Amino acid sequence: MTAAEEALNAVHGGQTDVEGYFTYVSGVGYIPRDIYKYVKSNPFGDLPRYSVHIVIQHILIFTTFIALAATGIALHYSDLFWAPYVIRLFGGIDTSQLIHRSAAFVMIGASVYHILTIVGSTAQKILKKEFDIRRTQVPLPKDLFDLIHDIKYFLGLTPHRPKMEKFMYKQKIHYLAILWGSFVLISAGTALLFPEHIALLWPFDPAFLQDLARIMHADEAIMALIIIAFWHLSNVHFVPGRFPAQWTVFTGKITREHQLEEHFLEYLRNLSEIPEEREYMRSLLAELGFAEREGSLDETRP
Amino acid sequence: MRCKKLLKYAAGISAFVWVAVLFIFCEARAADIGNCLLCHKYPGLSRIDENGDLKLLFINESVFNNSVHANVKCEGCHPDIKKIPHENVRKVDCMLECHIIEPSSEKKFSHKDVETFLSRSVHSKIDKEGKPKKYPEDYPDCKDCHDNPLYRPLSFFKKVRPGISEIVLGRCRVCHKKDEFIFRFYNHITTRLHAIRSPKNIAEVCAKCHEDPALVARHGLSRKAVSSYAETFHGKAANYLSEGIPDCLNCHVNIGESVHQMLSHKNPESITFKDNKIKSCRMIDCHPHASAKLAKYDVHPEFDKEKSPMEYYFTAFFLILTGGTLLPLAGIMFLDLGRRLFSRKKEDKE
Repeated sequence: MTAAEEALNAVHGGQTDVEGYFTYVSGVGYIPRDIYKYVKSNPFGDLPRYSVHIVIQHILIFTTFIALAATGIALHYSDLFWAPYVIRLFGGIDTSQLIHRSAAFVMIGASVYHILTIVGSTAQKILKKEFDIRRTQVPLPKDLFDLIHDIKYFLGLTPHRPKMEKFMYKQKIHYLAILWGSFVLISAGTALLFPEHIALLWPFDPAFLQDLARIMHADEAIMALIIIAFWHLSNVHFVPGRFPAQWTVFTGKITREHQLEEHFLEYLRNLSEIPEEREYMRSLLAELGFAEREGSLDETRP
Repeated sequence: MRCKKLLKYAAGISAFVWVAVLFIFCEARAADIGNCLLCHKYPGLSRIDENGDLKLLFINESVFNNSVHANVKCEGCHPDIKKIPHENVRKVDCMLECHIIEPSSEKKFSHKDVETFLSRSVHSKIDKEGKPKKYPEDYPDCKDCHDNPLYRPLSFFKKVRPGISEIVLGRCRVCHKKDEFIFRFYNHITTRLHAIRSPKNIAEVCAKCHEDPALVARHGLSRKAVSSYAETFHGKAANYLSEGIPDCLNCHVNIGESVHQMLSHKNPESITFKDNKIKSCRMIDCHPHASAKLAKYDVHPEFDKEKSPMEYYFTAFFLILTGGTLLPLAGIMFLDLGRRLFSRKKEDKE
């Protein structure tokens, strides 16, 4: 077991206080929790986060999302003053319907591509015995504790943020929301696009089902748009320090600062997987006066 | 001698000028035999009637000449006007016989048949037993639904598009010599090949009565017949003047019958009768493969707890879900932002 794995197990196994200011990594040294304030970061990313498949999927999803939202919301709110301008921009109602449906097919394709990528890479990791559920989007009890810890931190009740995994609670909430949203939007959209065929699937006479599809499709889309516009963009791209954008979406890489702040436990894995990173951190610690020494994990900042 | 010759020339020239002027004048006023435009051509011509309503009496000749009634002379609809200036005119009776000859029967043209269709419809002022219905003033007259619509010609040359095809007119001219006739015939035929109004316009006409809260309450009708249509994607596309979607008439008029003969949904002969709805869904341009199940979809839900409880609670669920998701997320987001800004300020001070 590597030093980083030991440290990780200590956190997950509750063997040590997660509030511990220093995290000891053998061969690197004692890493203070707020080291992210002192590291050098390339705004385009330093450490691997997403594979090229995920980058392609994200690009497909966000471009189709913009087209779907613009054409769909303008159609839904057809009686509002701005809506006709948007529809005209897309070449009229018939063309915008075509664009909406084409974008939906591309988005469904990207979703299938994503499922295949996840299933394939998970199977590969299981076969290689490298699968670790803590590095996935699967919600775990620790996420709830992290959320509570983070709220305490935001309120100033605790000095440091929790040590979180590759996907923190915010991303897991968001990912679950996307799963729910995709299911609702794709199923309702299919019912709207192929009403004749979907009507046959119901075992009873569906007087209200088409309406439910319409309500689901529109209301879920509005919800998705609000969440993307206010939650995703604010949290991911516009947050101080990452504005105007987090370039991970194109480079697949995360900045060192961000990884250390919000995905500290994943950073520990980076230390064991990337020798250059170990070297960088070791020299930084030496530079900052945190050279390797014996001591408690719970040691507080001098 | 010379003088006489000059006078002869002058008389000849002036006679020619007079004839030319008269010819031009007659051409320009061919559609206005009664010379009504002498006064009605002025855009400001108007009066306040006995009820205090402003009546605009201006006739825009170029617009009128492109309308479906362009061939009908003023006297055709206003036979009571015998002199100029005239006195108060009677209301136009659309059932009058006008001077146009209907080509298939070679009889004088009239809209009289519409009265027969209307008398069989749900909009008739008289019930099955021939007695006047309650609130007869609520039932529509011709002008409640109709104005004098403009031609909407279509061109079918290479592809279908709005407007006249000059190439087709050229073909007409091979046999037909009068451009006036060709123009009217072309416009009449191609205008009747599609709906003269857009679905949005038709919904607006129906809404005049069917969205009048007092009227629908008096007759026990659906309270939101038109706005519930506007809620559907059919209605939303109609808002953008899409013509490929169904309007009120497509589903409420028996296929192949007069729109004036609209029957009650309780009448087993009506296309809106529960077992017949499928016929309108299955129209070739709509959902040709529709099953009876599709026809059972409720297309006029009112989002009312009593009338459409499922829709009501489903909408409520999504509202709660959106609010219940967004508010905690926004809370976390603002707390995060607050702490970041607070920490930064603190660090700046240090």
